[in-house]
Amino acid sequence: MSSTSATTTDARPAHEEGHGHADRNARVHPLRFLARAEAALADPVLQIAIERTTGTAERKRADAVEGFPQFDKARVLGKRIKDHVIANLDHYLLAFERNAIASGAKVHWASTAGEASRIVIGLCRDAGAKRVTRSKSMLGEEIGLPHALDEAGIDRVETDLAEHIVQLGGDTPSHIIWPSMHRTREQVSAMFHASHRVPHGEETIEAMVDSARRELRDKFFSSDVAISGANFLIADTGSTCTVTNEGNAELTTSPPRVHIVTAGIEKLVPSASHAMAMLRLLVRSATGGDITQYTTLHRGPRQPGDRDGPEEFHIVLVDNGRTRMLKEGLKEMLRCIRCGACMNHCVVFRQIGGHAYGGVYPGPMGAVLTPVFDGLGAARDLPHACTLNGRCREVCPVDIPLPTLMRGWRDRSWREGLEPPAARIGIGLFAFAASRPRIFHLGTALALRVMRLFRKNGLIQRMPLLGAWTRHRDFPAPAERSFLAMYRDAQSGKTTPGSSR
Amino acid sequence: MNTSPSAVRVGFFATCLVNAMRPNVGFASLKLLEEAGCIVEVPMQQTCCGQPAFNGGDTRDAAVLARQFIEAFEPFDHVVIPSGSCAGMVKAHYEEALADDPAWAERARRLAARTHEIMSFLVDVMGYAPQGRSLVASATYHDSCSGLRELGVHAQPRAMLGKIQGLELRPLEGHDVCCGFGGTFCVKYAPISNAIVEEKAAAVERTGAQLLLGGDLGCLMNIAGKLSRRKSDVRVLHTVEVLAGMADAPAIAESR
Amino acid sequence: MSAREDILAAVRGALGRLSVDADQVKEEADRLLDDLPAARPALDGMVPIDIFAARVSSPKVAASLDRIGDLAELPTAVERYLQSKGLPRNVALQPAAELQALDWHGIALHDAPEVDECVGVGIARAGIAETGSLVFESGPETPVLAHFLPLHHIVLVRAHSIVMYLDDYAAAALNPESPPHRNVNLITGASGTTDIEGSLVLGAHGPCHLHVVILFDGKRSVTPQAWL
Repeated sequence: MSSTSATTTDARPAHEEGHGHADRNARVHPLRFLARAEAALADPVLQIAIERTTGTAERKRADAVEGFPQFDKARVLGKRIKDHVIANLDHYLLAFERNAIASGAKVHWASTAGEASRIVIGLCRDAGAKRVTRSKSMLGEEIGLPHALDEAGIDRVETDLAEHIVQLGGDTPSHIIWPSMHRTREQVSAMFHASHRVPHGEETIEAMVDSARRELRDKFFSSDVAISGANFLIADTGSTCTVTNEGNAELTTSPPRVHIVTAGIEKLVPSASHAMAMLRLLVRSATGGDITQYTTLHRGPRQPGDRDGPEEFHIVLVDNGRTRMLKEGLKEMLRCIRCGACMNHCVVFRQIGGHAYGGVYPGPMGAVLTPVFDGLGAARDLPHACTLNGRCREVCPVDIPLPTLMRGWRDRSWREGLEPPAARIGIGLFAFAASRPRIFHLGTALALRVMRLFRKNGLIQRMPLLGAWTRHRDFPAPAERSFLAMYRDAQSGKTTPGSSR
Repeated sequence: MNTSPSAVRVGFFATCLVNAMRPNVGFASLKLLEEAGCIVEVPMQQTCCGQPAFNGGDTRDAAVLARQFIEAFEPFDHVVIPSGSCAGMVKAHYEEALADDPAWAERARRLAARTHEIMSFLVDVMGYAPQGRSLVASATYHDSCSGLRELGVHAQPRAMLGKIQGLELRPLEGHDVCCGFGGTFCVKYAPISNAIVEEKAAAVERTGAQLLLGGDLGCLMNIAGKLSRRKSDVRVLHTVEVLAGMADAPAIAESR
Repeated sequence: MSAREDILAAVRGALGRLSVDADQVKEEADRLLDDLPAARPALDGMVPIDIFAARVSSPKVAASLDRIGDLAELPTAVERYLQSKGLPRNVALQPAAELQALDWHGIALHDAPEVDECVGVGIARAGIAETGSLVFESGPETPVLAHFLPLHHIVLVRAHSIVMYLDDYAAAALNPESPPHRNVNLITGASGTTDIEGSLVLGAHGPCHLHVVILFDGKRSVTPQAWL
């Protein structure tokens, strides 16, 4: 059998929470979430960048949806296709493996991020790779591939323009569709001037793109191994399908002798026709186009008589917490087709941007996924830093109940005792009072009295316990008596109902 | 008062915010419900719908409060609530909170079908429209997220406000964008909430409208508090206050 | 246990059963596709070539369009394009026998495109009207790099090879019984990127200009089933 897999000695201990995107702590951010968020809020350049990217994406998606009257039906179908695959995931994994092997590909399986990147490094070493070209893959980020390649001393060339910029800048993607959203043209220009052999002359975006084209051109052809991702894994033919715009993915995956695809196991679809149904949702939701410039399917290595193409084609199927999601009430999250619509429409993401989330994936999808990868203890803030407004679910092309999944994490955080004492005491006391009406009404009356002590000109501008509110907003001074107290009096004839004093 | 046997018996749930912070909303609601031909009762043992506990992850306490609510309101033909988020809690989440107890979950499901946010109740169930009321002013409208997305409240308040003579409704840019309240979110993640509500307040001010109206006191307090801090002249009211002709009360977070 | 066994066991454990009936799964998957016609743009009853041509020249694809009535006219059409853009009469020709057999009168040809190739001329296997896409299937006459290296890409597509929907092509040519190809490319317009400040720039790593020449040679449109 040509399928290989990592052995158990590489597996992480079962009790260890979080599967991590690499066996290292480089991702554990020194600052806590709120501090990162505040830094982002105070960054005027980032604020402009976020608005430009998400505002455009929102408008384009709205136009695309309006121009596709069947969008709602397509969305229902997409959800049903994904649910069908999830319910039969083992069947489709095996079908994919069988058909991929029959097409001449080699299939590898990885339970954890660490295993996955070790398999890829191993394949690179087997190929004697000195240089590797990569096209964009968020799964690659998830498994820590950039870092692993750098550690292995392999020259890693990112060919996607945004990933190239991220590589030059030494940071990480801040959006899953526009990874270098956080960079201004001035910053990009400076990076290109510093690193490109023949940088741009004019300070225009066209000239900069041209500079990147020049810089990367020969690298495509001097690469030993190509590494790419996949938007869909097509089970009935063992093919992969990738959607891109730049042409770099095809220039990356054709010249080298070895081509490796890394993909999450949830990327499976039954057939190419099912993939097309998903495709109609993906591009409209991500960039507002009806289709990307390039939709490419790979099936096996080069065939006899082909003029180009790799001699070896490897596909690494990665779990990294997906089976855990399946088991632990997060299976709807496996529908995700990585379109980014949720973050483009999220009021929180649109204020703090991607890096503040501190994980591989930002926005609502990141708030649900990061606790899986990094553990709830480390990522607890993310599902809490959400107003549960539901816009993300509304725009999700596969109707993932994101707010429900976030609340599920909150429920789990509560049950595991991870909630801070202030929250436990506050909610506990409130619930205690609320379940005892007499105490609740007494407490309300008392609170009203106390609050009125702090009012000035009908407002409360400062008050203990209300500091977080009054730092930014005024708080209305309440009426003298509660509605229920007034109503009760009105019913017993003491005062006229409807009086607001 | 209509005492015919076919009259609709409504149990009114004020919500803890209306109860503590703005009784006028409660009395305006009662007035509208009676005008619409309902017999309204206010069960005195009502407290909180349990949403703060539920959204905080304390499902067990939320279930306790859900059961309490269900028992108090089951006797009525309909339950009416002047808040999209509390009505949403009952309609969309009680069954979830009680998932571990099938008998209670079933009771929750059945009560959910008879529970309504007030504006959708007045229009969709009672076919009510305000008559002979006027308010000469310009107003803009903020759609609270739960009401909009969980309960489909959008056209109904606008339809009724359209019957108020002299009231000019101006569209709010981003009327369906969250205001950043989110319950405890606004205090736990205050800087982010502040950034969100700043944008909302700026959008409200840009309409040039004299009034901001909406259906959820939490949202309205959040936006009004920010408008007040910005020294804005905009008066913020709950929609039912305008519909009931009770808009002369001091506005939410209005300084005096 | 290997990762493979671990993953399969974890999936089965989570789903609460050991195996599935493969025929039943296939049936369910097929039935999902029954809803596909209602879930795609409503183009039934329209003429694929008309939709294709309109789409290709629309801003969404922004390719230039030409038409010929006979394959022999292709070199002239290429000449027209080269002249309109002031380009040298030197093209990389896709090694397809029927293209090589044409009289290229004076246009210098070479086989493999250079890394910085100026103009490439190729022939698409099919077209997809819904999106205005051109389909290339890799093979001895169709190297992948021919569609990606040139700055200007001129592509011939036969009118009768244009199908209406993405899934028409998928069902006909990407099913388990179809002849397999290492690479299938659906190309829709020129390459581009919006990675720098969201500004669209055409001509990222792939071609900057796509020029589509439709061959109306009088043959009837082929129904998708006839692909098999």
